[in-house]
Amino acid sequence: VHVCRGNWSKQEEVLLTGDYARLLPALERMQVDQFVLEYATPRAGDIEVVGQALSDRELGLGVVNPRTDTVEPVAAIVAKAEQALAFYRPDQLFLNTDCGFGCFASRSVNVEKIAFRKLCAIVEAAQVLRAKYG
Amino acid sequence: MLKALRGYQKKTISRKAFNAVAEEEIRCTVILQELAGLDVVVDGEHRRESFYAFITDKVAGTQLMSLAEMLDFVEDKSEFEEMLRTMDMPASAVKNPTCIGRLSRREPLALEDLYFLRTLTNKPVKITLPGPYLLTRSMWVGALTRTAYRDPREMADDIVRILREELIDLRDAGCDFVQFDEPVLTEVVLSEECGRRTFM
Repeated sequence: VHVCRGNWSKQEEVLLTGDYARLLPALERMQVDQFVLEYATPRAGDIEVVGQALSDRELGLGVVNPRTDTVEPVAAIVAKAEQALAFYRPDQLFLNTDCGFGCFASRSVNVEKIAFRKLCAIVEAAQVLRAKYG
Repeated sequence: MLKALRGYQKKTISRKAFNAVAEEEIRCTVILQELAGLDVVVDGEHRRESFYAFITDKVAGTQLMSLAEMLDFVEDKSEFEEMLRTMDMPASAVKNPTCIGRLSRREPLALEDLYFLRTLTNKPVKITLPGPYLLTRSMWVGALTRTAYRDPREMADDIVRILREELIDLRDAGCDFVQFDEPVLTEVVLSEECGRRTFM
């Protein structure tokens, strides 16, 4: 199950803000293998919130913001994943985009060139993490 | 792609012609993901109006409506327009899968997408589907839906059944990941006015 805070505008301030704490009672009851959660945006709050409650499932960790034009540095993605590794085993962790690059046909939030570079940054970060944690 | 999608929706181009354009885009998207080196591949959802409104193409009892068309049926029109403005969502850019009759799967929602994606890659693949909460919240437009269902809960039972059937079909076809998208859950707990209708 994927949860985010909206992905229709490049104006971050019109999208919702708040961590997952108030959703935990619902998420904990869901019989799903993996939660794919927005975490690249600071509006999603602290990883600790789901790390403490949902670490019996896999985490699809959002590490790049699909709406921004700057590509997240590999080191920053690695650091974010390492925050999650305080709660999850390496084999429970997946690196994801926060949401799609174009969820509405008439309202893509990015262009292919930048989307591709963001995916490459994710792959590079995964290589660093695999070398370090297996 | 957009021109083909609009043509297909207006029935000025055939499904076959639309699919030919979409398949070319999907091919490019898969190549880019493999070039980047991703472990799990998606098809880019090029056939979809949006990640949830596309179901009007697959589910009987639905109608794809622009928000401009929907305005005639929402209870507080000016409030709705104001909400769109403050959320930076032009009414022309988003379409709603409105429920106008009893819901049933006319055809699988994403099984064909899986089959096509499988022809393009040997990597594990992910198919996304809209979640039951998102669909219930967006599909219910009281003035139009009450002709078919007493309340949103009754409609939701059919939505859950349809999604469950699709999930089982995808599982049986060997889909590696099926993801249900529920962006609206955050709105329920984070929005100051969670009772209000937004565009989702």
